[in-house]
Amino acid sequence: MQDEIFYDAAYKGSKDYNQWNVKTADATGFGAAADDYMERGIDLNEQLIHNKPATFFLRMRGDAMTSAGIHDGDVVIVDKSLKAQSGKVVIAVLNGEMLIRRLERTFNKVRLLPENRQFASTEIDPSCDTLEIWGVVTYVIHQL
Amino acid sequence: MRTAAAPDLFTAIPGSYGMKAIVDCNSFYCSCERLFRPDLRNKPVVVLSNNDGCIVSRSDEAKKFGVKMAGPYFEARPLIRQFGITAFSSNYNLYGDLSWRVMETLRMLVPSVEVYSVDEAFIDLSHVPYDQLEQTAMHIRKTVEQWTGISVSIGVAPTKTLAKLANYIAKKDKQASQCVTVTATREEQLRMLQSTRVENIWGVGWAYAEKLINQGIISAWDLSNMPEEWAHRHLGGVNGVRLIRELNGIPGKEMAAPLTSKKMIATTRMFGQPVTELNDVREAIATYTSRAAEKLRRQHSAAKTISIFLVTREENHMTSFKRGATLHSHITLPSATAVTQELIKAAVQQAEQLFRKGKVYKKAGVMLSNIVPDDSIQGNLFSPPSGNEYRYLMDVIDNVNFSMRDDVLKFAVTGTTRDWKMRQELRSKRHTTRWEELYEVK
Repeated sequence: MQDEIFYDAAYKGSKDYNQWNVKTADATGFGAAADDYMERGIDLNEQLIHNKPATFFLRMRGDAMTSAGIHDGDVVIVDKSLKAQSGKVVIAVLNGEMLIRRLERTFNKVRLLPENRQFASTEIDPSCDTLEIWGVVTYVIHQL
Repeated sequence: MRTAAAPDLFTAIPGSYGMKAIVDCNSFYCSCERLFRPDLRNKPVVVLSNNDGCIVSRSDEAKKFGVKMAGPYFEARPLIRQFGITAFSSNYNLYGDLSWRVMETLRMLVPSVEVYSVDEAFIDLSHVPYDQLEQTAMHIRKTVEQWTGISVSIGVAPTKTLAKLANYIAKKDKQASQCVTVTATREEQLRMLQSTRVENIWGVGWAYAEKLINQGIISAWDLSNMPEEWAHRHLGGVNGVRLIRELNGIPGKEMAAPLTSKKMIATTRMFGQPVTELNDVREAIATYTSRAAEKLRRQHSAAKTISIFLVTREENHMTSFKRGATLHSHITLPSATAVTQELIKAAVQQAEQLFRKGKVYKKAGVMLSNIVPDDSIQGNLFSPPSGNEYRYLMDVIDNVNFSMRDDVLKFAVTGTTRDWKMRQELRSKRHTTRWEELYEVK
């Protein structure tokens, strides 16, 4: 058995609805035909949360990720069950500190990249740094 | 037309396996605190009880420094300071949410989960072939850890009691066991029984253990060899017999169906500081009653009996650790109700009767019992029908409080100052349940 099997377990948690979630049109006469076409309304959870027990909300502080569209005060949605692949925006734990950065993994090095020219990128030195991936950022909620 | 049913992965293969496991979170409250404090990983951490009174959870590192479980906080304080141990007040909102996440993850992975406490669950592994038990348990452990950030230990065996023992062994040396111990064969179980002392068996209390040891029954193996008649006479009747059977690999405690409605609902708290005024006691009792009534309604029940108790402080509380006297009383209502103000009326009336001027109170509690389903409240010819006309009001209150939190709507008698409220000076933020307390990442 591979670890992957569990990582990708389909989760139905946030999509657990029944027919009572469908509103009735509550009309009489001719209008009652509308009932035939009623369906469940759109629920953001369905779109934004794929694995409920593994999903956490965090708030962005600072400008390190503005070019990736994550601004100060935004809410980021983090899924801990996803594998951190190179190129993903992740929550990294670098030497005990939680950071939001883009992960870059090449054959011989690992880097944490900010999305702002004024910030420096960090190259991980395996001999003195400890790096761990806390979770993968999947969405950002930004107020316009 | 019927299509062929999809093969059910979870159906036990007849005549085989039948393994259970206990999944137990490692130093659960400490693990929860560390989730958003990665700087505290591998550092000593303790969590204090309600009111910052006692130590209720210790990380392995704190255990090594000699911090005692359930010891009073003020006694451990010098140790905590000396070794730079980080202490937290209980953050039940955070622990409750993470507990749900752990259990929900387990429900994704196995066919049946019996939540045993906030940080433990029995799971059914009867669909797993013997030679895959170890891998499966290891996968479950890793998945829970990956998804929720909470580390767990798993003990696998044919009975709950043996699974608990296996888990105890897994926890004793986490490095060697990697937090998983499987005892599927009788040989493995015998080795485990022989190396475990009776006091470490689930369900054998401290007093029983002493009695057993005095009779020369020292290891779990010794106990498992005692005849059932003996257990019936000396180990609490049927329960003793069941214990012996469980140690011998015969299940006596099957997986219980999830408990949907409780038979008894209690809300008990220590006061933030000892109180002496009737008004404070009244407010506290009314608040606890509101909370208990809310729990009652959440399970669609009504209660007929309401009991309250008050715990006084010992006169010489500075020198004595003895608990003060507990005063209690109960009222049986003419008919079962889930209406907060009716329950409050009965509770406050009792509080007023029990209260004595000049005494110092440190703890109070409310208990609802004689619980019946809400839709079958037995009417009483001599009392007016109660409840239904208030049902709508209760629904509104519950909905507002549930969406706004922090008891936005409450009864005036529960007080406005709440001087007696819990002390939680070192509580971390409620990162997983409050928008305004989300973890801030840079």
